[in-house]
Amino acid sequence: MNEALLKEKIAFYSRFPHRGKVNIVTDTSEFMNIKESDVLELAGNFYLVRGEEIEGRFGLDGEPKFWVKKAIDLKDGSSKVIKLVFHESFKMYIGSTPIQCFRSPQKETRILDLTRLDPHFMKGFTIQDRCGNLVRIIDKIQGTRYYDYIHELDADHETYFHEGFPAILDNIVQCVEAINRLHRMGDVHGDIRNDHIFIDRNSKTYIWIDFDYTYEWSENPFGVDLYGLGNILLFTVGKGFHNVPDMSACGPEGMKLLSCLTPDDLSLFFKHRVANLQKLFPYIPDSLNHILMHFSHGAEVFYETSEELLHDLKACQAELIR
Amino acid sequence: MNKKILIAVDLSENSLKAVDYVAKMMECHSEVDITLLHVIREPSPDVMPDEQERRNHVEKNRAESLGLMEKAGARLTAHDIPEKNIQLKIQICSKPVTVAELILHERRSGKYGTIVVGRRGMSKKEEFLFGSISNKVVREARDCTVWVVE
Repeated sequence: MNEALLKEKIAFYSRFPHRGKVNIVTDTSEFMNIKESDVLELAGNFYLVRGEEIEGRFGLDGEPKFWVKKAIDLKDGSSKVIKLVFHESFKMYIGSTPIQCFRSPQKETRILDLTRLDPHFMKGFTIQDRCGNLVRIIDKIQGTRYYDYIHELDADHETYFHEGFPAILDNIVQCVEAINRLHRMGDVHGDIRNDHIFIDRNSKTYIWIDFDYTYEWSENPFGVDLYGLGNILLFTVGKGFHNVPDMSACGPEGMKLLSCLTPDDLSLFFKHRVANLQKLFPYIPDSLNHILMHFSHGAEVFYETSEELLHDLKACQAELIR
Repeated sequence: MNKKILIAVDLSENSLKAVDYVAKMMECHSEVDITLLHVIREPSPDVMPDEQERRNHVEKNRAESLGLMEKAGARLTAHDIPEKNIQLKIQICSKPVTVAELILHERRSGKYGTIVVGRRGMSKKEEFLFGSISNKVVREARDCTVWVVE
């Protein structure tokens, strides 16, 4: 594509004319130097960079992720998220437990391929740039983060639990089924969080995003994913997390509830987070609470596979329908 | 009674305790056959993409392990277990299978009567996230005895 045509496409799809010479990038190794209004040329495709994605965890604006670019595909104007190669290794803490984590473009590429027909995983493909970097071109999901969706629900817990929750649980079970399919293919998501599920605005499908984290092989390959699924279940059943300090601040009612809690009722990984939600919301059925207690400090048996978790969740679904 | 014993060692202090325990228990049983099994996991290609780097990593690990395995074997001979009855085995694993599965596979193929494992003393959180080899071996072993040495 020559520069004049490129500028025409940019003006058409971005609604802003490009001033000056277009900077075309074919080697993405130095991702810090790739700026807004640059164009990435990858295997004959052209993508206009619109800026960086922001690590916007838990409703707060965070740091820009310089290796993740917001972009427009100049072929058809569609919005893309372009993930560039960033090999980093760092110690992540799960509660107070350290775990060495690696960012792997190969892994994300493989999972994009494995799940290309699965509606519950983000869609995209990988192109190698001029220097062989694995650049992932992801379709931007138009929708809401699950974290925000739950937080923005305007209902007290009891109303939520009886009216909204059963349908939400159905969707979360579908997400767990998707993770189970991935596990059966021998892979893991690696970064299961309640802000790594998006709800598509049109189809209402719950979709997993961002699976480039990986770890050294361990005796329990699915442990980190199961930890993440447990958190999502606690968040979903509780309509948010319930922490001891928040309850202390709730006056006599909160203090009364607190007095019923024992250390075994709290989360295995977060010592202030309540896992035994039935003590706060007695209408939570035993079968559902039983699942949550697998993630509590008092648990003696843990889930080792998503299959086991799914089995119990499906029994809950059946009970909720009755 | 099957007199073949498989000791799984990761060369940590705890697994050497397991070797010492077997040495003491078998002091008067010179007819017993003992295999020390050490599993080296090749790093995942996702973590270490370069194949040569992975091979080098395994080779370095194997060289270090062999020396330590010989020392572990010496702990057995020090208790009058004949050297000819001791086998040192290092298994390289490049697939994402668990160490417990490998131990159990070796138990079946070598027809061992007893498996011995050490226990690392993991916290509950660590067990949740990373899993425990000894727990898995105890749970899944069939047609043999399992000794867990703490």
